[in-house]
Amino acid sequence: MYFVTFILKNLTRRPTRTALTVLGLSVSVGSMIALLGISENFRESMRDTFEKRGVDLVGVASGAADQLSSEVDESVVDAVRGMPEVAGVDAALVDLSEMTLREPRDESDTPPSLQVLIQAWLPENFGYSDLDVLSGRSLTPADAGQYLCMVGHKFAENNDKKVGDTIAILRHKFTIVGVFKSFNLYENGCIITNLKEYQDLSGRKRKVTGFSLRVHKTSPDPDADVEAVRQKILALRDPDGKPYRVAVERPEKYLNNSAHLRIATAMAWVVSLVALLIGVISMMNTMAMAVLERTQEIGILRAVGWPRGRVVRMVLGEAILLGVAAAVVGAVGAVVTTHLLALSPKVNGFIEGGVAPAVVAQGFAITVAIGLLGGAYPAFRAARLLPTEAIRHD
Amino acid sequence: MTDAAASYLLYAAGVRKTYPDGAVNALNGVTLGVREAEYVAITGPSGCGKSTLLNLLGVLDRPDGGEVFFKGEPLSTRRDLDRFRARQIGFVFQSFFLLPTLTARENVQVPMFEGPPLSARERAKKADALLDLVGMGKRAGHRPLQLSVGERQRVALARALANDPALLLADEPTGNLDSENAVRVLDLLTTLQKERRLALLVVTHSDDVAKRADRVVRMKDGQVVDDGTSRAPVPRQAASPQVSHV
Ligand SMILES: Nc1ncnc2c1ncn2[C@@H]1O[C@H](COP(=O)(O)OP(=O)(O)O)[C@@H](O)[C@H]1O
Ligand SMILES: [Mg+2]
Repeated sequence: MYFVTFILKNLTRRPTRTALTVLGLSVSVGSMIALLGISENFRESMRDTFEKRGVDLVGVASGAADQLSSEVDESVVDAVRGMPEVAGVDAALVDLSEMTLREPRDESDTPPSLQVLIQAWLPENFGYSDLDVLSGRSLTPADAGQYLCMVGHKFAENNDKKVGDTIAILRHKFTIVGVFKSFNLYENGCIITNLKEYQDLSGRKRKVTGFSLRVHKTSPDPDADVEAVRQKILALRDPDGKPYRVAVERPEKYLNNSAHLRIATAMAWVVSLVALLIGVISMMNTMAMAVLERTQEIGILRAVGWPRGRVVRMVLGEAILLGVAAAVVGAVGAVVTTHLLALSPKVNGFIEGGVAPAVVAQGFAITVAIGLLGGAYPAFRAARLLPTEAIRHD
Repeated sequence: MTDAAASYLLYAAGVRKTYPDGAVNALNGVTLGVREAEYVAITGPSGCGKSTLLNLLGVLDRPDGGEVFFKGEPLSTRRDLDRFRARQIGFVFQSFFLLPTLTARENVQVPMFEGPPLSARERAKKADALLDLVGMGKRAGHRPLQLSVGERQRVALARALANDPALLLADEPTGNLDSENAVRVLDLLTTLQKERRLALLVVTHSDDVAKRADRVVRMKDGQVVDDGTSRAPVPRQAASPQVSHV
């Protein structure tokens, strides 16, 4: 018999309690892995998108918490486009907008509405070039003023829309000319339309929420080229000679500063910490009960020569095994959950199935820590049991 | 005193014990020695301190006064008492105290974790050999609840021998057994004691045990009233015919 066999047998003797503890703990760990996994996936996908599109700099209004609440004057974009060092500029008005899948039949009819992410792009955006058009066609500069749009394939699937169908955005009818697939999962659930029309509809003339750009790299130090352009943009002045309220950063820094991502991660951690605290308490409870009901047995183990250290290792070993089992169940649960969430029409492709291995590893490490933490006090109690007390009523 | 201690395997010199919540002294200066390969029975009325003495001799507990010596060396200064207990002393209890989740074979292996290093395979093999020795080889895969009380005590006996101790301490080992099983366990104890040259200390109420022992110690009110040495020592050869029927 191995020592670990002995530990395992202690766990399997109470199958219901062991199963319930593992289940409870796996919910704690699973929700932590899922939450952190989702926010990490989001960050990773954004990073990926910037990288694949070759974005060197991202500009948003200075002080804006995120792209949605940012407002930059299009004249900045025009000025940037005019810079010789700039290879290309993408400008967009990104908005979480109310939309309906059909037009109202009459005055009193209010069709069911939903919130959808609208990306109003300039026709010359380089982002168009890496969209994979599944059906129909891409938007072109010639479409200006015709209220046309492209929809992500997730949106099309979830809402049963195809090329030629119409939808209403901000109470205006738009016709779908193309269905696309983007490597950015979040774009697959959104609608892309022409910047000008959306600006008019939303009353935000000549405004964008942000822009991104590629820099011509000529010097041996590309970072220096990018930094030079950054400084040049920051030095821009409006016709009144005042600086524009614009912040320009490298994509990595932009993501790190993003209040949305930071809040999402912080929320994930706060919820996780609560879940983990519950996990520690439930582990402590289970192990304390296990020690209490085995008082006599532990006394016998001490009597046959087990030192306190081995008794401690036994109790901690049980706690850690419970933790590892919970981590396995929790990780599987988290991966399954994210995949199920990703399938749900409600999230419109905003959640990516699967969890990064690093997040799973983090979950495992934390669960082992829960085992050690929750098992420590019961183990200490077990070590202090006197063998003579345990066998006294012989 | 140390001279006296040196001629014994285990020697208690004037040990005292008062339990925190006990009104009287459980042990009031007990001096008692057990020689190598000696079979000693301890008798006395309930509550006279027999179990307390056994616990002190087996270093499950420390005396409040006096000293216990092993081969002439005081145990109070030793730091590795758990290891000492694991390797030198085997315990047999009235209620067996087998671990309910483990099979007989596994129960016997429990002390081996603290014995001389053995692989898992070697531990299992040794456990099987010990179970054979106590006539339980065929029940090695059974858990305690699947065994009769007599069988359980035999498994417990095998466990006590797991690390080949020099000394076996048994506290009323037949107290929970019917007479038939009691005789069987006692026969086994006697045989093992002789064959393995064990020092055996048995606390008992039974005359059967007392008859088999080399020496009978009588206790009363936390003291030894007769340590059995005042009588003419029974030559070991003379003791053998008693057990020859085993
Ligand atoms: N752990 C303990 N706490 C308090 N009193 C105890 C404890 N163990 C034994 N005693 C008391 O010490 C005395 C001797 O007990 P014990 O050694 O068990 O006697 P015996 O085994 O001869 O029946 C008794 O009065 C008993 O009540
Ligand atoms: Mg007793």
